Amino acid sequence: MPNILCCFKWVADEAYIRASAGKELDLEWVDYKISDYDRNAIEEAVRLQEQYGGNVSAITVGKPDDTKGLKDALSRGPEKAYFINDSSFQNLEPSQTAAILAEVIKSQIDYDLIICGEGSSDLYAQQVGPRLAEILSIPCVSFIQKLDIEQNQLIVERKVDDGVEVLSLPMPALVTVLPDINSPRIPGLKDTLSASRKPVVDIGRDDLSGNFESCLQTMAINKANMERNGIKLGSEPQDISQLVDALVKQGVIGGVK
Amino acid sequence: MAGIWIFAENHKHCLELLNPGQKLAQKLGSPLAIFLWQDKELIKDYVSHGAEQIFVLPPLAADQTLEAYVPLIADLARREQPDVFLLGSSLRCKEMAARIAASLNTGLCSDCIAFNLNDSKALEMERLIFGGAAIQKVICVTSPQMATIPAGTFEAGPAQSPGEVRIVELADPLPSVVKLIDKKSNAHQSANLTEARVVVCVGRGLEKESDLGMARELAELLGAEIGCTRPISEELHWLPEDTCIGLSGIKVKPELYIGLGVSGQIQHITGIRDARIIFAINNDENAPIFDVSNYGMVGDVYKVVPQLINELKKTIK
Repeated sequence: MPNILCCFKWVADEAYIRASAGKELDLEWVDYKISDYDRNAIEEAVRLQEQYGGNVSAITVGKPDDTKGLKDALSRGPEKAYFINDSSFQNLEPSQTAAILAEVIKSQIDYDLIICGEGSSDLYAQQVGPRLAEILSIPCVSFIQKLDIEQNQLIVERKVDDGVEVLSLPMPALVTVLPDINSPRIPGLKDTLSASRKPVVDIGRDDLSGNFESCLQTMAINKANMERNGIKLGSEPQDISQLVDALVKQGVIGGVK
Repeated sequence: MAGIWIFAENHKHCLELLNPGQKLAQKLGSPLAIFLWQDKELIKDYVSHGAEQIFVLPPLAADQTLEAYVPLIADLARREQPDVFLLGSSLRCKEMAARIAASLNTGLCSDCIAFNLNDSKALEMERLIFGGAAIQKVICVTSPQMATIPAGTFEAGPAQSPGEVRIVELADPLPSVVKLIDKKSNAHQSANLTEARVVVCVGRGLEKESDLGMARELAELLGAEIGCTRPISEELHWLPEDTCIGLSGIKVKPELYIGLGVSGQIQHITGIRDARIIFAINNDENAPIFDVSNYGMVGDVYKVVPQLINELKKTIK
């Protein structure tokens, strides 16, 4: 019966960032959410528990006021959470997040399997999972779309650029999951209520000994300019012929069979 | 010791990375090296594209995958101390790069789309964040400076007259406990879509699978390939996954992109930012796709597309 740990990140919701609204990237009014792919990680942990037994904990690194994310994660099924938080734990780069997670996991968590999302929906660097496995010296397979446990071995299907590989690996191990692996359940009212009664292990900066210095420095974050100031048309017959004329003038149609 | 190192899964991607690698090697006065593990015939090709060192990785057992080389490559990097290590950003290489970076305790810029060398000879690297809504510029303050680079970001340079080359044969790696049991290759190849001159993309604005027929008719008329947004391939399974265009799918760069009922989520827009002309049809006049379109048509896809097909038939003989 496996002890499963799933990692999640509380992130700014990029749906609030429109491609049009000026040049500055304004994050002041955005809402926050559990990173999309981490929902699949949590769901997969809970699904495995339903199938094989064992227990599921969730773990995150963030700012002390990210408690909303903690409740959200717990409402999705894990019975316990580890909340590593400090006011300096924001805008961390992947090597820092992995090092912080690794220190806590090494010192106080019993695990057979660690599940991460394939990447975070804010930075999408896709590094924390494999980095964490490397620091913990455990085997890792990333980008998996199917996971089974057979005689204490994990059997996984992982996507590669030219196909799919089926691999086996012994536990303890780490995997990162693709969104196709499952459809995360939507927590109900009962789940949300019970989430606030679940235990949370609070871990502060003073409980950790590492330096966690960053390897990557962010010099600037600028809005990607993708605006095209296009022409807006209706859908009347004259609009359609105007459009076809324009496409011909642009040289993108015509001259084709 | 020093070096500019290149590692990519396929030959074309290797040649692409050698091009910027060679420029860096010249500016930093550091030898350009590339990894090779299969066909030694490729050495000539790499040398004529600027490689001065070839690291030849030993063959793998049948149950091993390229990731088994990670400890070997990390050890080599500890000995040779390269300045820069550029890897392709295929799924497999992304994992390898992150693990090598962790092992070397250095920084890694994932999916780097552009870089330049600043005055203090550090790489300023750019990457997309927030689903493509913003560009983050980073420098790596540890060594080696590492990045993964998507295929197609750089073009391969022309072949030159080959210089001298140092060939280094590497020892066998310890077998990984991760074992390959089976492999299925993609039946469908998305290469056509990434190279297509015209792309017709279907989104959630289509109501049922049979509506793809209308998209196919339009595509056939224009000699276009069909792509889709994530919900179409992932939730509805109307089209294969490798036709999904976007940040986590494929990136297209056609002369003309036509979006049918595509709302324009930022992750999708990121996959079409290099299209020359973007034309979108959507019934929601506030759909974000219109902000990034050259031509936006507010209307019912079901009424517009048949009329458009008729009009195009008159124009294209």
